[in-house]
Amino acid sequence: MSAAPILETFDPVLLAVLSNRMDAIVREMTNTLLRAARSAVIAMSRDFSCCLVTGEGDLLATAEAAPVHVFGAHLQARSMVDLHPDLSEGDAFLHNDPYLGNTHPADHTILVPVFCAGMHLFTAVAKAHQADIGNSIPTTYHASAKDIYEEGALIFPCVRVQRDFRNVEDIMRMCRKRIRVPDQWYGDYLAAIGAARIGERRLKALVEQYGVETLRAFIHAWFDYSERRIVQEIRRLPPGRLENHARHDPIPGVIPDGIPLKVVLEIDPASAYIDIDLRDNPDCLPCGLNESEACAINNVMTGVFNCLEPDIPHNAGTFRRIRVHLRENCVVGIPRFPHSCSVATTNVGDRLVNATQAAFAGIGEGWGLAEGNPSLTSGCAVVSGEDARHGNRAFINQMFLMGGGGPASPVSDGWINLLIPVGAGLLYRDSVELDEQKYPVLVKSLRLMPDSGGPGRHRGAPGTEVVYGPRARPIRVVSAPDAWQTPPRGVRGGHDGTCSQDHILRPDGGETKVEGFINVELQPGEFIRGRDCGGGGYGSPLERDLQRVLHDVQERWVSAGQAESVYGVVLTRDARGEVNGVDVPASEARRSALTQGGAH
Amino acid sequence: MTYRIAIDTGGTFTDAVVADASGILAIGKALTDPERNFVGVQNAIADAAGQLGYAMRELLAQTDVFIYGTTRATNAIVTQRTARTAMLLTEGFPDILVYRQGGKLNPHQLNVDFPQPYIPRRLTFEVPERIGAEGDIIKPLDEARVVDILAQLRAAQVQAIAVCLLWSIANPAHERRVGELIATHLPGLPYTLSHELNPILREYPRASSTAIDASLKPLMQEQLRLLEQNLAQSGYSGDILVSASVGGVMHVEDMIERPIYIVKSGPAMAPIAGLSYAALEAQGDNVVVVDTGGTTFDVGLVRDGRVTHTSETWLGEIYTGHLLGMASVDVRSIGAGGGSIAWLDAGGLLRVGPQSAGARPGPACYGLGGGAPTMTDAALVLGYLNPQHFLGGKMTLDAPAAQRVVAALAAQIGKSAEDTALAIITVANENMIKAIQEITVKEGLNPADSLLVAGGGAAGLNIVPIARSLGMRHVLIPRTAGALSACGAHFSDILREFNASSFASTANFDYATVNATLATLQAQLDAFATTLRRRGLRDFQQSMSVEARYAGQIWELQVALRATSLPDAAALQELIDDFHAEHERVFAVRDPDNSLECINWRARLSAQLPRGVQAPDSRQRSHPLQPRYLRDSHFGSLHAEHTRAAVYYGEDLMPGDCLTGPAIIEEPTTTIVVYPYCLATVTPYGHYLLEVQA
Repeated sequence: MSAAPILETFDPVLLAVLSNRMDAIVREMTNTLLRAARSAVIAMSRDFSCCLVTGEGDLLATAEAAPVHVFGAHLQARSMVDLHPDLSEGDAFLHNDPYLGNTHPADHTILVPVFCAGMHLFTAVAKAHQADIGNSIPTTYHASAKDIYEEGALIFPCVRVQRDFRNVEDIMRMCRKRIRVPDQWYGDYLAAIGAARIGERRLKALVEQYGVETLRAFIHAWFDYSERRIVQEIRRLPPGRLENHARHDPIPGVIPDGIPLKVVLEIDPASAYIDIDLRDNPDCLPCGLNESEACAINNVMTGVFNCLEPDIPHNAGTFRRIRVHLRENCVVGIPRFPHSCSVATTNVGDRLVNATQAAFAGIGEGWGLAEGNPSLTSGCAVVSGEDARHGNRAFINQMFLMGGGGPASPVSDGWINLLIPVGAGLLYRDSVELDEQKYPVLVKSLRLMPDSGGPGRHRGAPGTEVVYGPRARPIRVVSAPDAWQTPPRGVRGGHDGTCSQDHILRPDGGETKVEGFINVELQPGEFIRGRDCGGGGYGSPLERDLQRVLHDVQERWVSAGQAESVYGVVLTRDARGEVNGVDVPASEARRSALTQGGAH
Repeated sequence: MTYRIAIDTGGTFTDAVVADASGILAIGKALTDPERNFVGVQNAIADAAGQLGYAMRELLAQTDVFIYGTTRATNAIVTQRTARTAMLLTEGFPDILVYRQGGKLNPHQLNVDFPQPYIPRRLTFEVPERIGAEGDIIKPLDEARVVDILAQLRAAQVQAIAVCLLWSIANPAHERRVGELIATHLPGLPYTLSHELNPILREYPRASSTAIDASLKPLMQEQLRLLEQNLAQSGYSGDILVSASVGGVMHVEDMIERPIYIVKSGPAMAPIAGLSYAALEAQGDNVVVVDTGGTTFDVGLVRDGRVTHTSETWLGEIYTGHLLGMASVDVRSIGAGGGSIAWLDAGGLLRVGPQSAGARPGPACYGLGGGAPTMTDAALVLGYLNPQHFLGGKMTLDAPAAQRVVAALAAQIGKSAEDTALAIITVANENMIKAIQEITVKEGLNPADSLLVAGGGAAGLNIVPIARSLGMRHVLIPRTAGALSACGAHFSDILREFNASSFASTANFDYATVNATLATLQAQLDAFATTLRRRGLRDFQQSMSVEARYAGQIWELQVALRATSLPDAAALQELIDDFHAEHERVFAVRDPDNSLECINWRARLSAQLPRGVQAPDSRQRSHPLQPRYLRDSHFGSLHAEHTRAAVYYGEDLMPGDCLTGPAIIEEPTTTIVVYPYCLATVTPYGHYLLEVQA
């Protein structure tokens, strides 16, 4: 490679200094929100993100934020400026409007305009997925809602909730009269305000240290630098058109045929642009699965970034080179009011991330990724009811007990704890003990499932099985699992992962399968069992390194049976019958026979 | 005359610091022998003894306190050479160590393998039993099955066993019974029970600490027993103390019971040293302590006269390493130091580290074949280091080599070699500033309110601009900066922490249960104090705290208790007020109408070791202070007029001496750059206090 391009005008040292400082501020905001929040979905599983946007409305710094949350925060920051000509210091806004730039209504976003020397220089953003938002049923994922009215969410189109650093109590009272377990919501709200205010304090101190002009110049230089990085990455790619298809599985009675999806990518290394076209997709549907504009953009961008150098900064400068083409009234486009976007961040979104990253595998060996688990099973359901241990006090929360098998890559096996593609492995897991202390549930078992990861030269991560149920009083479990028919696909000869499954287990030993949408009340003695998908494999399993197969068997990721039949490996055993090695010549012979026999 | 010896066995060198009632007398160094641990210890002591005119046996015979610190446990974990350990978990939950707590640093990095669990799944066994959240027995323990498992463990030649059952903190009956069965069926095999080691809520951190502790038992128990024998044979008859990650020392027998405390114990001692030096020089009780080595930069914190602790200690990277699961001195380490390599990334951005040239090949100027520019090379190009007098003349640096590698980088970014060297230092500074901010700003503390104590061989090169950027006015660099951790052991106390998990809400406060919990903790403290009294210790301090949260919150904040019990509503109200204040300080908000949930109660006892009173440096100047010479050096365009720095040898400087930057002080273990906007004073105790102008 030739010498790196010289950074123009702005001092490269100061560029590094200030960009690092911006990420440090985002991290501090993140830590504040995590540690101060109340619902497990935020404080334990970290279903939230913080970021910084410039006064002009460009995404500036994201640190370790979830892409699904923050790519698009600029749309919200711009709406704040557009709607509020009297914007001033001490303001904070609540924004959860999916028709105005938010992801989905459950993501309550706090926006704080940061003023320096009287100028609106930045917006500090903290977006957190709430345990409840006052929907018509106790879930933040209302998949069967025909429209926003049936969904029932309180929508805040960038509404002022603080003025002069004090709450607008009217709004607080409104929320408390409508959102389930209001104290939990209020605590999460306070934590988000704290996060944004911490961001505000730090930014003001930074501007004091360096001056407004230096920071303005930095912002331009940082975007230019980021753009150069993505330009270099795109120039590395071969030119061409990649097309991939995906499908969200049916929800009986709501979307009986599922949702077919299509992603088209045009890579042009000469001009250094990637164009993604989502316009050839169905119109908005009478269900909660419609994507918001922010999600449609960020899901395909996530798929692209997953296939590029992971070290590239992700901000408005980088985004200049990826153009996403959407149309109005499209299930993966710009939603038309009053279609519901209740489930916009996950299900269809996960299919888009998968389809995009798997499309890159079409370029050739070494490119792209397989698909990861796209299903939020009952292991990640919203659970509610009354807690007999505390005077039948009401509770509601989204559990994060799932694993979610990650996709295999050209060089590695899949990531355990991916959760779902839009979660990107960033979210934390619940502690069983903490869940049981905080909520009246009993977790019966929680384990990874052998043989569930899609076989391949690199193997998809195994899926997880979770079994839990109520204690003294019934609980309601609501969830919208996908992939009960269409599993995460393998690529380049890699096999698919397993499908997801949810069953209600009765005390008499009977089981009832639940498909597409779960909304059940479990009685004491009943349990629900969720099995999420293993990730897809990459490359032929007959090419998998023999030692990796041996390790998989010894570590019980893969059964001896699958090792022999699918991976074509002949194992050896010690006197106690424990697998202790691989018969290399016999394995090679078996693999060659399997290849010729067209088994693969 | 009685001496005290502190040992710090690192991966490469073993340090021995000898002190007496008047303070630190000698620092001995020897190569660590990974196979025969005592060889390095013995040679380091001999080196220090020689400086005092003794043979090793003579010194040991006059020594009454021996403190041992080692990175052996950490290294055993990092290199996966711990014991073959089995994990016993509640049936249905075999993957606690695989999953960890979730989380990941880079959302778009999906091309790395998921890390292996601390104990492989093949050595993980499920025990049929289940206890509920309230301590109720949901499923009785299947003892016959446990006996079967133990037979399998014998066949698998397991060397240690970790047992962590769900809710053993609420009802330890099942874990205890499993322990009895192990003792019966596999007598002599080391094992650890989670509720005994670390009774905290959340199964992953508890299981992880149990696994780590059990896995260290065979190795560390053997090593510590051997140390006892070797020292006895060498004529030492006093107490043996061991440095612990909690930032104090423990008696060797206690460490043998709970070897997890020895993990990360080395870096934990540096903040203790920082605290002591700051107190000695009366420089306040808020201190940031940094230790800059060749490869890593460690940062610790002293606040209100106390070393800061954390309950989140990762071995390896956050999320993908292994969680220690217990409190330790909060020391954050990043890959930055004298050996950190400077490079340009694909977009043309200058980076420094985290890769290090290490000791071999080392920086280009070491002349050992290093070809990449490092921070040390940059310092040499800038005239901060003396190629002929590095490490007090023990090593000669290759200045042309440094010039060559820095100039090559300079050509790529279109700057002069000097400007590039300044840029390397500046970027390295920024990484270190970020590490300091992580532990200060991120916790709601303003570093500008603190003294900065800097140790480690490379600290003096850039600590002044780091302090300046953070708004810190004063930097203290001890003369013994090169062996900060071993020095810290000399200032440490015997520490013991007990904790109890007992839930209580202030909305309906159960005074009886809480006070019974506190009384149990107090009894544990008293029992421990009694054993210490038998050993002749007299000076104790105790403190109690609670980890509490707002009703419905998930994470706790630690708040000190003002007394050893909460007898009435007034005492409870004080605790509530203290919590609100702490919450607002850390999280910018408070919820005054809400009640608190108290989760874990902690009690801590520290016993001060007999330690002398450090005597002031009594040397007096007989002739005027003169620099050895002037050297060309560069401090950037803002200080372009300062191109000649006065160079002093540490041995020439006496208490009260005052130097105006630019100046350079060369000590046998470190070099201190006094920047142009800085004033250096030699303190009454012979250390260096730098005053940084804004």
